[in-house]
Amino acid sequence: MDFSHTAERISQKITSHGHSVEKSGIEAKLRRLVDEFGVPPAEAERTVMNELAREFGLPVSQGSGGGGAVEQKSLAALANGEWVTVECKVVALTASPSPAIAQTGIVADESAAMRFVVWSRANAPHLEEGKWYRLESAVVDEYRGMLNLKVHSGTTIREVPHEGSLKPKITPVAGLAPGVTSVRGKVVQEWEATHDRILQSGMIADETGAARFVIWKEEGLERLNPGSVYTIYYATVDDFNGRLSLTLNSATVVPEEGDIEVNTGSESFQGAFVHLAPGSGLVRRCPVEGCNRVLSRQNYCPVHEIQSRYHYDLRIKGWLDNGEETREILVSRGQTEGLVGMSLDQARELAENNPLGMDEVFLRFREALVGRYLSCRGRQIDNRLLVSACEILHYQPEQLADLLNRAGGSL
Amino acid sequence: MAGRRDGVFEREPARRVFAQELKESRVHFKEGQDEKSPSFILLPTGARCNRVFIAGTLTEKKKQGEQNMFYRARVVDPTGTFFVMAGSYQPEAMQQVARLEPPCFVAVVGKPNVYQTPDGAVLISIRCESITRVDKDIRDQWVLDCAKATLDRIESSAGTPDGERARREYTIDPGLFRKMVYEALAQLKI
Repeated sequence: MDFSHTAERISQKITSHGHSVEKSGIEAKLRRLVDEFGVPPAEAERTVMNELAREFGLPVSQGSGGGGAVEQKSLAALANGEWVTVECKVVALTASPSPAIAQTGIVADESAAMRFVVWSRANAPHLEEGKWYRLESAVVDEYRGMLNLKVHSGTTIREVPHEGSLKPKITPVAGLAPGVTSVRGKVVQEWEATHDRILQSGMIADETGAARFVIWKEEGLERLNPGSVYTIYYATVDDFNGRLSLTLNSATVVPEEGDIEVNTGSESFQGAFVHLAPGSGLVRRCPVEGCNRVLSRQNYCPVHEIQSRYHYDLRIKGWLDNGEETREILVSRGQTEGLVGMSLDQARELAENNPLGMDEVFLRFREALVGRYLSCRGRQIDNRLLVSACEILHYQPEQLADLLNRAGGSL
Repeated sequence: MAGRRDGVFEREPARRVFAQELKESRVHFKEGQDEKSPSFILLPTGARCNRVFIAGTLTEKKKQGEQNMFYRARVVDPTGTFFVMAGSYQPEAMQQVARLEPPCFVAVVGKPNVYQTPDGAVLISIRCESITRVDKDIRDQWVLDCAKATLDRIESSAGTPDGERARREYTIDPGLFRKMVYEALAQLKI
């Protein structure tokens, strides 16, 4: 067996630390371990490397698995389960979710960006944002469909100098995949917070598509302005139960000047309107700027409490059904007025002059819509369609002839 | 078929089915052990059905019961009669029925239930979720929609597990339903 390559690799590592070592000596040690003692070659390499490292006072790799020397790789080339050596920049630090974790955040190089986790037990030096580090024998694993770099007690960390600045690659929204990504897009929608810990959630879109985003409450974080364009560096994209969602807590968010074209969505769906959901009809919205949440009957906003200076709006929430699939549709005022043939002013008047108040508007909506065949077009997220154009369908006699032929064809 | 992913709610689709086919349904089953798991009837043309959407003529409604009042209504399509029920567990639907004056065209969304009478006869009724007054245009659209859906089921049933099961459980010739579809369509004006 030829040990010269392995010996060369070891000797280069030692030399890179500024020490010199005899290659033939390394080779002899390797041969002895493998040939005489039956040690697997990878384990032999590790043994010799560690022995020399100790001799020269170099950081010793204590990793128990993986074994062998690891070549330096770019972040984009990493795969789940690998032991790796990388050089990367800490581009974001995020709050540690657990005492078992000393630090978490995002590292990046020219090729990609990735979440990292430093275990408390690793006793690793504290990493600083904006600095480059060489991480030897870190482990790559997968969590919720995205790769993670884990720094454990066997990982050696060294700060390294780095020339030039790092320019993150911007990914089109339609091309998002779980991991860490930078996008440029416009905040096209803001949603009612569904959880106490959510600072803001909504949708961000560019020319290619739209994705949901969420910002969890954390000190120093601010909400995004609906309608504004942002470049978002190093957001994490989660795949949670089949939905892709951008989490912006780790990201650097830079407001951009001007406006961009956004994909208004081209999904369409035809079916019968089978259910009008509560919250449809005439609604009152919170007047606090940037809130716009629908108030409860008692004019209570989940965030801003009692609001008496609300404004009115019309909307439809409900389900379209084609017999095979269903879509929840959300129709805003402009389209709603046309579908039910009632303007906002007419709806207000109706509510004011009727003992049932706003419920009367809901009931009129239900009678006007449930059972009708509709064709809707808009942006789709999961099975919810945010309708931008909608029409009522009518009987088409030409379909009858086709169906008669189809049914009668094999009678 | 509606799949279920954790976290994302998927509403069970409302099948389009003619009265004659629904009347022939016997097999009912539940997916999963959970109390909230959806229950289905198996249509003879080979699809599971948790909910139906029908349109037809309301010909009769009858109030029944004292303490637990409920409405029984008959809705007729070109192939037969649907039995629609709205009880105190569906207060909204009950109020909707109360306001309707037969005869009129209606669209009904509801869940089919299989009942066995003491003498062994099997009845299918639809527990009403919603019943709204519609016009003839919508009734006619529904006949086309239902005809297409039924033909689709007949033609694709051979390859699906539910289709295979329907073939085992029901000894009805699928050609019979093809004829039913043809006759239903023939009643519409070209």
